[in-house]
Amino acid sequence: MSSNNWKRILLDKGTSPLFLTPALIIFLVLLVGPFVYMVSLSFTDLSFSQPGRDGNFLGFANYRKLMRDDPIFWESFLTTIKFVFAAVGLEFLFGLGLALLLFHLIRGQRFIVTLILMPMMMAPVAIGLMWKLLLNGEFGMLTYYLRKIALMAPQTAPLSSYKLVLWTMVVIDVWEWTPFVTLVILAGLMSLPREPFEAAIMDGASPLRVFWDVTLPLLRPIIALVMLLRGIDAFKEFDKVFILTGGGPGTATELLSIYTWRINFRNWDFGYGSVVAFMVYLVVLIMCSVFYKGITWKRGIEELRA
Amino acid sequence: MSKAWRNVGMGVIIIVIIIALTPYIWMLLTSLKLRIDALASVPKWMFPPTGEHYPTVFIDKGYLPLLSNSIIVALSSTLLSLLVGVPASYVFARNRFAGKEDLFFFFLTTRMAPAISVVVPMFLIFGKLGLVDTYYAVVLAHSSFNLSLVVWMMRGFFEEIPQEIDEAAQMDGNTKAGTFFRILLPLAAPGISATAVLCFILSWNELLYAMILTAFESRTLTVGIPGLVQPHGTLWGQVAAVAVVATLPIIIFTFFVQKHLVRGLTFGAIKG
Repeated sequence: MSSNNWKRILLDKGTSPLFLTPALIIFLVLLVGPFVYMVSLSFTDLSFSQPGRDGNFLGFANYRKLMRDDPIFWESFLTTIKFVFAAVGLEFLFGLGLALLLFHLIRGQRFIVTLILMPMMMAPVAIGLMWKLLLNGEFGMLTYYLRKIALMAPQTAPLSSYKLVLWTMVVIDVWEWTPFVTLVILAGLMSLPREPFEAAIMDGASPLRVFWDVTLPLLRPIIALVMLLRGIDAFKEFDKVFILTGGGPGTATELLSIYTWRINFRNWDFGYGSVVAFMVYLVVLIMCSVFYKGITWKRGIEELRA
Repeated sequence: MSKAWRNVGMGVIIIVIIIALTPYIWMLLTSLKLRIDALASVPKWMFPPTGEHYPTVFIDKGYLPLLSNSIIVALSSTLLSLLVGVPASYVFARNRFAGKEDLFFFFLTTRMAPAISVVVPMFLIFGKLGLVDTYYAVVLAHSSFNLSLVVWMMRGFFEEIPQEIDEAAQMDGNTKAGTFFRILLPLAAPGISATAVLCFILSWNELLYAMILTAFESRTLTVGIPGLVQPHGTLWGQVAAVAVVATLPIIIFTFFVQKHLVRGLTFGAIKG
């Protein structure tokens, strides 16, 4: 067989493996490797700040510590859950409302939609700084107006009040991510078939009934997906809160990601820190597999329809 | 819908736009204010503008290299992700093989993986390899999430190109690889450019990996910004100036990719 033929075989049959392998290698090296290393570290006492703790095997001691002797971890877990549910819940309500409004009034005219989208495209660091500036206790523009219209008592500052600060983070997250929910639901609305709506209107259904009995059920898969995506991202939230409060005052806004950061990169305790990091990973993996099921579920629905 | 309700609705939309943009505009204004105006206890909307903060922070305080670091890191990670990811996505779009969807899901989890968890072992590994505070470390870390974005988005774009085109090209004597490079890549070019822009944005905006994997030499702009914020006496004009520079390219890019945003941000789950 001539060399030309071999080349041809390589370029035909060999293409798929050749195309796929580099991506697989990068994934193995960048994600599977570190993941395995993290899990193995979680059984050790590796620390950069204490002498003698250079990676000795501990068995499950770190895990026992997490379960029994670390109330701050669980407090942080609870803070994260509160943050996720409050933020994602509000984003859903506002996002759905706004999407419906945009759909009926401007049919998703791109320029206006893009203006509304801006918050979610900017660097979260910049967003953190923007809001730090707006909410400063002495010269913050928003603080000034909030006090002026008496929504907030003088002297209270949204970022240093222990009671308010987590909800301030929620508000900022809602500001940043409602556009995302809006965008996705709007895309969903525009892709819906018209017939069910026409049939419902022919039957004399009121707009509210149409919304409740036709629109919402048709949108359900998309709503589920966008909520789950937002849930995963909110659970991982780090940048904004890190810039705005660093987890404080006290531990009022110490989300799991901030706590993980503190144990690893402030206390330099990589043994115990790996357990915490592993836990965060685990929760995200679980949410991810639900997301995956959601996608296959949605594909199934689409195939049924086609 | 009656005219009155229409007007109310339009009013709400306008208010939403104002809410979405005001924080940004306020920061833009702050970057142009003298210190005394920036710290005024009654917010100042009108003031004598100054451009001094921009040269002060970028030239005198040496933030210019951070800007170029950001560009280098974002471009490299975008390029690497496209180079490796586009061919892989083509295989996912066209081939059938056992476990394909599971492998695809595996690619998704890598995008979803919490940075704070991944960065812990990464920091230790890159440290042992002597790569911390080099471009390699950040570029590779950013490629870990950008690569899966590429695979996810491009699979959708390739699936939209009819299979008949591949078949016709191969009938004409093209190899499979030849078909991909000569016929399909040009057809997928709009999708590739949208994907590239999204990759660039994600890398440009990223903080956590960049903050932990760089120290000084390869610090990106997002890592440098927090350093300007002091417990007391923050020079807000300068902070705002850096933040404006860090967000301006993104705003421009967003208008370029607006058509593909939904798909990019939902990993192709919703076509938009």
